[in-house]
Amino acid sequence: MFILPGALLFGIVIILASLQTVWVSFFDWDGVGEMQWVGLSNYVQLFDDAQFYVSLKNNLIWLGMFMLAPPLGLALALLLNQPIGGMRIMKSLFFVPLVLASVTVGVVFTWVYDPSFGLLSLIFGYFGATAPALLSDEHFVTFAVVAAALWPQIAFCLVLFLAGLNNLSEDLIGAGRVDGARGWPMLWHVVLPQLREVSFIALAVTVIGALRSFDMVAVMTSGGPFGSSTVLAYQMYEQSIFSYRFGYGAAIATVLFVIMAVFIAWYLRTLLKPEQENA
Amino acid sequence: MKDLTSLMESASASRRQFVIGAGTALAGIALGCPAVAQSKELTIISNIGNAAQRDVLQRLASEYEKASGVKITINNMDHEAHKTAIRSYLVVGAPDLCFWFSGNRMKAFVKRDLFDDISDLFERENYKSVLGPSAAAVTVDGKQYGLPLGGLLWGMFYRKDVFAEKGWTAPKTVKDLLVLGEQAKSAGMVPVSMGTKEMWPAAGWFDHMNLRINGLDKHIALMDGQMSYMDDDLKPVFDAWEELIKADLFSPNHTSFGWEQAAAALAQKKAAMMNLAGFIKYGFPEDQVAQIAFAPFPEITSGMARYEDFALNSIHVPKNAKNKEGARDFLAYFYKPENLSAFLETESAVPPRNDCPPSKDPLVNAAVESLKTVVGSAQYYDRDTDPDMAQEGLKGFQEFMARPDRREQILEHLEATRKRIFKA
Repeated sequence: MFILPGALLFGIVIILASLQTVWVSFFDWDGVGEMQWVGLSNYVQLFDDAQFYVSLKNNLIWLGMFMLAPPLGLALALLLNQPIGGMRIMKSLFFVPLVLASVTVGVVFTWVYDPSFGLLSLIFGYFGATAPALLSDEHFVTFAVVAAALWPQIAFCLVLFLAGLNNLSEDLIGAGRVDGARGWPMLWHVVLPQLREVSFIALAVTVIGALRSFDMVAVMTSGGPFGSSTVLAYQMYEQSIFSYRFGYGAAIATVLFVIMAVFIAWYLRTLLKPEQENA
Repeated sequence: MKDLTSLMESASASRRQFVIGAGTALAGIALGCPAVAQSKELTIISNIGNAAQRDVLQRLASEYEKASGVKITINNMDHEAHKTAIRSYLVVGAPDLCFWFSGNRMKAFVKRDLFDDISDLFERENYKSVLGPSAAAVTVDGKQYGLPLGGLLWGMFYRKDVFAEKGWTAPKTVKDLLVLGEQAKSAGMVPVSMGTKEMWPAAGWFDHMNLRINGLDKHIALMDGQMSYMDDDLKPVFDAWEELIKADLFSPNHTSFGWEQAAAALAQKKAAMMNLAGFIKYGFPEDQVAQIAFAPFPEITSGMARYEDFALNSIHVPKNAKNKEGARDFLAYFYKPENLSAFLETESAVPPRNDCPPSKDPLVNAAVESLKTVVGSAQYYDRDTDPDMAQEGLKGFQEFMARPDRREQILEHLEATRKRIFKA
C-alpha cells in the first residue's frame, strides 16, 4: 500500500519508458514526423557501424579501469582508518571529489590535461619534456577521461569501506589477534570477510557507474576527437539529438540495456540469495 | 557539437532564464486563454543569449504594445536548450513567433509543415526589393517561410599591428598563404589559429576550399546530397588541404580546444591569422578590438568567381501559431530598417536589408564592403546539409585535419552516410 505511489512512478517513468524505447528501436523516426516501421534494420546498421564498436570498446575500457576503484578505495579506507591525529581533516579532503558535481570534475581535469597551460604540462615542463595532448590523442583520450572519472569513484568506494570498517566486530578482531594474526593474514582472513557485503555494493555500483558513463565524456571531449572517446550512452544521445535518428538511438539504448541487464540480474541474484536462505 | 551562432550569442544565457521561460510557458498552458483575447495577445520564444540584444527586443515589444494594444509575452530560452525544445513546441504549444536559422535548418521544418508560409507579408511589405540575395535563404519552392536577420560573413582575420610590424600583407592566393605560413613560423607564430574541439571550424575551412576550387553550384550539389563524396572533383580540394596541413599551417593539437582559445591565440599575437566571422571580437580584449582586420579567404583556382559562406539567422511564424495575423503585424514593425538595425547592432551582424542605416561597427562595415564583390553565397556546412549528414561530416573533417593519411576511409564513410540519408 505504501509503496504504491513509488511503484506507480517507477512503472511509468522506468518500465514504460524502457518498453517504449525498445518499441521505437524498430522504427525510423526523426523525433517529430511520422514513425516508419523498419523492423530490425536499425540493429543491422548498428552492427555494421564502426562507431558502435569504438563505443563498445570504450565502454569495456571504462569497465576495466573502473574495477580499480573498489581496491583503491579499500586501501585508502584502511589507511585513513588509523587513529592518528589530523585524520579527520585528511578524511574530509578525500571526500571532496564526491561532493563536486561530475561536470565540475570533468572541467577541472580538462584544464589539468590542457597542453598549453595545464598542470600536466607544467609538471612535464619542469622535467624539460613536452606534455602529450591527452584529450586530442585518439589512443589516450578514453584513458584520460576514465582517470578523471575514477577520482570521485574511488572516493565513493572509500566512503563505503570506511562505513564498513566502523561496523567490524571487535570480538572477531580480538579473537584473530589472540590467534596471532597480524598484517596481511588479519586483513585477508578476518577483516575482508566481514566487508563482503560492502565490497559487493561497491563493485555493483562501480560496474553500473562505468556502463552509464556519459557526463564526463560530454563535458571533456564531446566524444572526440572524431568519435574516438564515445561510449554507448553518448553515441545514443548524439544520434538522437544531433542527427535526428531516434530509432537508431533507441537501438543503441536497447543494446546498452541488455548489457546492463546482465549485471543487474547478477546483482539481484546475489542480493536475494541470502534473504531466501534466511527465510 | 556547439553550433556556431550559439557561440556568438552565448554571452550570458542563464539557466534561470530558461526556467523562467519554461515556467511562463507552462503557466500559459495551465491558465488557458479565452478565445476572444487571442487576437490581442502574442507570444514570442527567443533563443537570444546576448543580454543587450534581449533588451532591444524587449524595448521594441513594449513600444509595439503601446501603439497597438496587443499584449506581447517574450519567453527567453537558453540557446542550446532551445535547439531541442523547438522540435516539440512547434508540434504542441507553438508560440506566435520564434527564432531559428535560415537555409537547410529552416527547410527541415518547412518540409514537415511546421513553419507558416509568409509570402503574403513579403508581398505586402515589398521585402524582396530591399532584401536582395538574402531572401533566397528563407525561400523554399518560391515561397518565403521566415525573415532573415543578422548575417555572418566568414573569412580570414588578422591583427593590423602585427601585420604592419612584420611588413606582411593579407594573402591573396593560397601560394601567398603558404609563404606567409613560412614567415609566421620563422617568427615563432602559428600561421593559422584553429580550434576544432567543437568540430565546425574544420568544416568551415572545407567550405572555403571547396567554394574556391569547385564553385558554388558543385558545393550546393554536395550539400544537397546530389554529389558523391568520392567524386573526382573533390580530390583537388583534399589535395590542397593536405598540403596546408602537411606545411604545419594550423595550430598543433587543435582538437583539444575550441574557437575561443584559438581566437585568444590570435589576440595574444601567438598566431598570425584565423578563419571565423565577426564574432571573433568576443575573443579579444575590448581595447584591442580595433586591431582586428578582415580579409577574404585566399584564391585557389584563379579566375573562380568569389563565393563565400554567409550564414543568416532568421525569425519565423510557426504553422500552429494561434495569432498568425498579429505575428505578421509585429514582424512588419520589428523589421522596419531602424528597428532591425538597432536589434542587429548589438551582435555585429550584417543587416540583410539594404536600406538599414550604416553601422558604427568597423567589423560590420568591413563585411558589408566585402559582400559587394561576393557573387553568391552558401551558409555554412552544418546549416547547408542535412543535420544527420552534418554530424558525420564535421567529425570526418576534424579527423582529416588530425590524420590526413586516413582520407580514403573518411571519404568512404561520408559517402556511405550520404547514401543512407539521401537514399541515393
